[in-house]
Amino acid sequence: MRPAVTFLVALIVVLFGANLVLFTVNEIEQAVVTQFGEPIDEITEPGLYFKLPDPIQKVTFFDKRLLDYDASPAQVYTKDKKILVLDNYARWRIVEPLKFMKSLRTVAQALRRLDDIVFSELRKELGQHELHEVIATNRADLMRLVTERSDEVARAYGIEVLDVRVKRADLPPENEAAVFDRMKAERNREAKAYRSEGDEQALTIRADTDLAATTISAAAYEVAERTRGEGDAEALRIYAAAYTGAADFFQFTRTLEAYEKSLDEKTVLVQPLDTDFFKYLQGK
Amino acid sequence: MPQQFDFPKSQVPALKLSPRTIYIVIAAFFALWLLDGIYTVAPDEQAVVLRFGKLHSVSDPGLHYHLPKPIETVIIQSTAKLYREEIGFRTTDPGPPARYVQRPHESQMLTGDENIINVEMVVQYQVTSITEALFSAKDLGAFEGRGEEGLVHDACEAALRQVVGRHAIDEVLTEGKLLIQTEIKEKLQELFSKYECGITVLDVQLQTVGPPKQVDAAFKDVASAKEDRERKVNEARGYQNDIIPRTRGEAQKTMKAAEAYKIERVRRAQGDADRFRSVLSEYKKAPDVTETRLYIETMEVILPKIQKYVIKGDPNGSLINIINLEKLGLGGSGTSGEGK
Repeated sequence: MRPAVTFLVALIVVLFGANLVLFTVNEIEQAVVTQFGEPIDEITEPGLYFKLPDPIQKVTFFDKRLLDYDASPAQVYTKDKKILVLDNYARWRIVEPLKFMKSLRTVAQALRRLDDIVFSELRKELGQHELHEVIATNRADLMRLVTERSDEVARAYGIEVLDVRVKRADLPPENEAAVFDRMKAERNREAKAYRSEGDEQALTIRADTDLAATTISAAAYEVAERTRGEGDAEALRIYAAAYTGAADFFQFTRTLEAYEKSLDEKTVLVQPLDTDFFKYLQGK
Repeated sequence: MPQQFDFPKSQVPALKLSPRTIYIVIAAFFALWLLDGIYTVAPDEQAVVLRFGKLHSVSDPGLHYHLPKPIETVIIQSTAKLYREEIGFRTTDPGPPARYVQRPHESQMLTGDENIINVEMVVQYQVTSITEALFSAKDLGAFEGRGEEGLVHDACEAALRQVVGRHAIDEVLTEGKLLIQTEIKEKLQELFSKYECGITVLDVQLQTVGPPKQVDAAFKDVASAKEDRERKVNEARGYQNDIIPRTRGEAQKTMKAAEAYKIERVRRAQGDADRFRSVLSEYKKAPDVTETRLYIETMEVILPKIQKYVIKGDPNGSLINIINLEKLGLGGSGTSGEGK
């Protein structure tokens, strides 16, 4: 029994002792070793490490990964005195845990400091640019500048600022109303243009139509009248050719014909008896 | 074994803790401890083995073994899974029918020409480097089982707004949509590479892209104005299609009528002339008789139809006579003879 108990006790002592002086640093961690509260060493590579037992040396772990800093939306003035509601974020990491520990100690503290640094850099930079540059043309450059400057300042705290980025940049509600009004006006203008274009095209088509119709009618009239004239002329020629040399007889027969046509029951004819027709009524 | 105190009368002898037993127990625990290191990786997973916290190896699907804790630990993660990030809305129920909630604060943004637009976007991505995803950034998002917020979501919003901010509203609304999707995808991938977070963007799709509701009516009116334009033009074309053929028809009618008139005139003239010639040739044979006959025949036709007053004597004598006679005739008591 004795060797077994000895073995057990020995095992427990070894494990307990190992737990006191050994510690692991994870892939996502880095650590600072403090001696009596004084930071003395930093560990940035993962692995198994040795330290003096607890009351003498302690280990504080920090995240090694890229961390999030998400500011609450804030108003910023641009150079053209417009207000922009900025919601930005930054990605940062602790690169020198010893320095970090000496200056800021905790991530919460770091976030507060980042708030100061990033927001002041943003405000400084955006104040030198007009709204459309911030929104449209220059955003990438602006953000790179803000990132670089924030990074420079933050290095003093053992922090690297990798990226500052505007998540949202909106106008404040009172300015939005103005934008909406402008948008409406622009669209109304566009709508009017379309409608007028419609009128323009429609009127053009109708006018073209009327022109074409009139042209067709007039051409038809021209042809028709010429044809009629030709008919009249031809008829005249025929009549003239027939009647030439027989004018008296023509006059006689044609007059008789005209009598037949023009005298009807409404005609009142007063005739003396000594006309050719009635001469036999008088007796001889 | 504190139970011994509760059952003093028990006849069961106390466990005999012989050294052999103790060794066996220790060996059994040790074996169990060693066996704890067996793990399987499913086909759509990858595993990362850490030795004392340091990356030791990455294992592919299959049955594997790692040294037991605390020497080595293993993290198993799905890598084939497609993740989906929604901007501007959230799917609350994948359905069918799917249900969504709007997130106006996410979807509303400024365009390059300082207009405001609503854009909803879906991004699909995959974790392609498990070590990067695990070790290089905190708060990734869906990969860590977190829902809404996180690096991926932030990056999506930033990329979307930055790209939309470079384009005018009409581009975003219409023809620029594909281009914008591509730009967002590139931008997003650039961000993820910068953050070294092991994520590959598979697809960026703009969903609903439209004007905010405050100005929606004005935008719709533009669309209906376009339709009005089309309608007006179509109506005019209708007018054209109606008028032109009809006018052509009427022109034909006018010209044909003239043609007919000409033919009629000429043929009639020809007929008249021929008739006249025929009569004339007969007349020449006996002019006097024919003239008299023609005259009488004509009178025969005319006189029965008309009212006639025959006066004896000189008709040129007095106009008054004629008028009186006429009145008498109209009075109905005619003294003179009449026709019929």
